[in-house]
Amino acid sequence: MSYEAIAIIMFASMLLMLLTGQRVFAAIGIVSTVAALLLWGEGGVEMPFTAAFKLFKWYPLLTLPLFIYMGYILSESGIADDLYQMFHVWFGGLKGGLAVGTIGLMVVISAMNGLSVAGMAIGATIALPEMLRRGYDKVMITGVVQAGSSLGILVPPSVVLVLYGMIARESVGKLWLAGALPGLMMAALFIIYIVIRCRLQPHLGPTVSDEERQMPMSEKLRLLRAGIVPFLIFFFMTGLFVMGITSLVESSAVGATAATLAALVKRRLNRKVMEETIRKTLGISCMFMWIILAALCFGAVFDGIGAARAIESLFITNWNLTPWEVLIMMQLSYLFMGMFLDDTAMLVIVAPLYVPLVKILGFDPVWYGVLYTITCQIAYMTPPFGYNLFLMRAMAPPEITLADIYRSISPFVLVMIVALTLVMVFPQIALWLPGQIYTR
Amino acid sequence: MPSFIVNYVRVVDYVSTRFGRIAMLLIFVMIGTLLLDAITRNLIKIPLYWCVELAQFTLAAYYIMGGAYSMQLETHVRMDLLYDRLSERNKARMDSFTAIFLVVYLFVLLFGSISSTIYAIETNQRLFSMWNPSVIPIKVIMVLGILLMLLQAISTFFKDLAKARGVELA
Repeated sequence: MSYEAIAIIMFASMLLMLLTGQRVFAAIGIVSTVAALLLWGEGGVEMPFTAAFKLFKWYPLLTLPLFIYMGYILSESGIADDLYQMFHVWFGGLKGGLAVGTIGLMVVISAMNGLSVAGMAIGATIALPEMLRRGYDKVMITGVVQAGSSLGILVPPSVVLVLYGMIARESVGKLWLAGALPGLMMAALFIIYIVIRCRLQPHLGPTVSDEERQMPMSEKLRLLRAGIVPFLIFFFMTGLFVMGITSLVESSAVGATAATLAALVKRRLNRKVMEETIRKTLGISCMFMWIILAALCFGAVFDGIGAARAIESLFITNWNLTPWEVLIMMQLSYLFMGMFLDDTAMLVIVAPLYVPLVKILGFDPVWYGVLYTITCQIAYMTPPFGYNLFLMRAMAPPEITLADIYRSISPFVLVMIVALTLVMVFPQIALWLPGQIYTR
Repeated sequence: MPSFIVNYVRVVDYVSTRFGRIAMLLIFVMIGTLLLDAITRNLIKIPLYWCVELAQFTLAAYYIMGGAYSMQLETHVRMDLLYDRLSERNKARMDSFTAIFLVVYLFVLLFGSISSTIYAIETNQRLFSMWNPSVIPIKVIMVLGILLMLLQAISTFFKDLAKARGVELA
């Protein structure tokens, strides 16, 4: 059998396994184990565990549990309530202003955390109920929270970019900085969309009554203090890392400590909150780590059959595509696979196939990391499979139905595709900032 | 369900929970170790070269030892396109069928971990670094964790099987 056929059969059987609803890590694990045994017999039997040692060497993944922990602490800490209050008063007068404020809130949360879980928890528990109470359109705001929280993986810090950095052997610092401007640009595009939409259809986002926002200017300015703690956390975590004072994994420990201290000062931590936080942290960390463990084995089998070469010859020799066509093909295939496959697994399995190709074609792998992350954001939100969809269903207030969640995402996915296209056409959006700070 | 199965489920679930509750606390060990590293290097200028490696060991123990407990907590994501439309009972039927994939995967993983640990003991394998720690302890922990995960997967299978037959097993 040709290696291409093996690769296709492996993908197809993985898809079939996933459809049975078995846990994702088990579905990926069994396909790679069986493939390894069939291909190499006794020699393949150690492959699943060898992946555990590869994972061991990927020590930057220490950031993963630490960011998950930090995300849960942040959503419990009360920092988000103060921030929401600030955005509420400052933007409430605008049509759709609370939705605009929510995007602002999400940008601040994203700058403190490297995953979308924190933004999701905060958006669904603080911003969503407030906006519902004020007669905002539930479909629109569901989309706002999902799209906004996905910024968590683009605005630095970002765990997805850490993982990409491991695979592509690129500096995580550069990757994080490269994500900053595209992240802010995407947030701005979301805001523009919300403002225009609410101007055309004012019933979607009514203004907050003046009495409620009536307060002396000094009072309003005092609200801005809510931004101080997030800024400090950002500075101690990402700032010290970019300045080269702390290493990557240390910076995530600093961030986790800073968030814990902030929650302590606000007197939000008690035994119950702490217990819940570390239990959820273990659960989510195990989910990600076991998926990565299984996907590494899958990737090793792919490596063993030379799948990277096969894709290269398929795109370049057989189909005779130009570099840009290859790039577009890769993004489309990600978007397509992202609908069905788990996004973390997809990164671990597919990125090792694509990154060498990106380098051969002369594209900048840092820039490609940003493109990949935006694609990942889209995949997070698009049904049937997406982490944000998954989390949203668990966290959203009961009046928001699954149909609402599915319907809410389409305009935001369009905005993300616009952002993706902009970054593709103008790589400087991503590469300018790292170029300023890291002189090559 | 025969009583030995009921007892098996009870014992395995109990042990997984205990180990999981311990693994849960390792997050503080990771934070503490890395923080210590950052502080000693920058403030008192004494670099502790073993910190990152210790944190790596802790991470491996964390997710492997916590694995069985996370199965109990049902935090593992599933692709729910079709699965979600099934009734609770049919979900249990499906799970007791597909549990075989989980069990086989974990079994091969366990096999690999044991042979890798034997190799480590025979050759006195160490990490190539300044600290130069032995990898035997972590490998033994991983073997135990994977074994526990396998036992938990079988326990979960029994629970699903019971549910599919319309009985609830603790």
